[in-house]
Amino acid sequence: MTIYSLYIFDRHCDCVYYHDWHRTRPVRAGPNDRPGVHRLPTASGPGARESIFSNANSNSNSASGSGSQQGLGMGQPGQQQQQQQGPAPQANGTGAASKRGLPFDEEAKLVYGVVLSLRNMVKKLSGKDDEQFTSYKTSQYRLHLYETLTGYKFVLLSDPQADSLRFVLRQLQTGPFVDYVVRNPLVDLDSRTQGIDNDQFRTAVDRHIRSLTMFGP
Amino acid sequence: MTVHALWVINKAGGLVFSRSYTDTLPPLPLNTVLILAGTLHGIHAITSRLAPAPPPGAPQAGLESFEAEGWGGKVFLTPTGTKFVLLHSIGHAGLDDLLKRVYEIFMKNPFHTPEMPINSAQFDTRLQTLMATVNA
Repeated sequence: MTIYSLYIFDRHCDCVYYHDWHRTRPVRAGPNDRPGVHRLPTASGPGARESIFSNANSNSNSASGSGSQQGLGMGQPGQQQQQQQGPAPQANGTGAASKRGLPFDEEAKLVYGVVLSLRNMVKKLSGKDDEQFTSYKTSQYRLHLYETLTGYKFVLLSDPQADSLRFVLRQLQTGPFVDYVVRNPLVDLDSRTQGIDNDQFRTAVDRHIRSLTMFGP
Repeated sequence: MTVHALWVINKAGGLVFSRSYTDTLPPLPLNTVLILAGTLHGIHAITSRLAPAPPPGAPQAGLESFEAEGWGGKVFLTPTGTKFVLLHSIGHAGLDDLLKRVYEIFMKNPFHTPEMPINSAQFDTRLQTLMATVNA
């Protein structure tokens, strides 16, 4: 039993927050990611991380607890590493790329697309406009959706054996989200250029998820 | 458990069979069902790429089931790429067996052209009796 990742999308279809825990196929930062969404190690340009060394690096990063507790504000904790590596040789083909997973912006678009299509399908099939799509499952993971009245979509990926975790998403909204995002004058809620990430919110979300019994060791 | 409807989607994403067995879900125009079946086909492909922690060496696995409030859907992918989709009420038990039975009935028609719409009265009646026993 475990939890893999959390996405929050706003009503403009943009991903405004991302957090991950036990992923073995990590996602990597894309070159055009907006600030204040995730704290993945940054890529300094397209192709800069295409080396066999950065592959091992990104793996160890995600395994050690998603780099969430670094307390660097809106800063980008990955930058020092990037500089130490120096100019990475343009090498290696698709093998390493597929192990590293998709760039973050691509993945966020796919997640949003799936959620929106399934939600619309469920609404059409049931003939009711207020029918809620709640979750879907594959043999490798389960996705939970909680949609707020303001159009925010909370998406949680857990392992397939988990029961419905919508209550957790609701708790995240009424707890950390309201306290540290909605009531935070420094967060621009309707911004199209940056996310809602801040230290308090990230810490509170992390604490909440880790306190769940299904989070595992 | 109640089975509301059954779709059969061929490997290209086209709907080759659809039947409704209850009135819980409203009847939809055939065009809409065709579009939804195609959408589901696409969703199935995308979901297999989103696995956050695929076990090493395991093949990609797509959408198996989805849930709404009070009802859900179950997708069964055959080795040849045909998908059987059951729309059912929540409280699943024996859905896998039921889908296997449907697959069996589907396979036992020697005159069926693969990937083409199913217009066999016998297929239809055998499914009707199967669903009648489940929904009873």
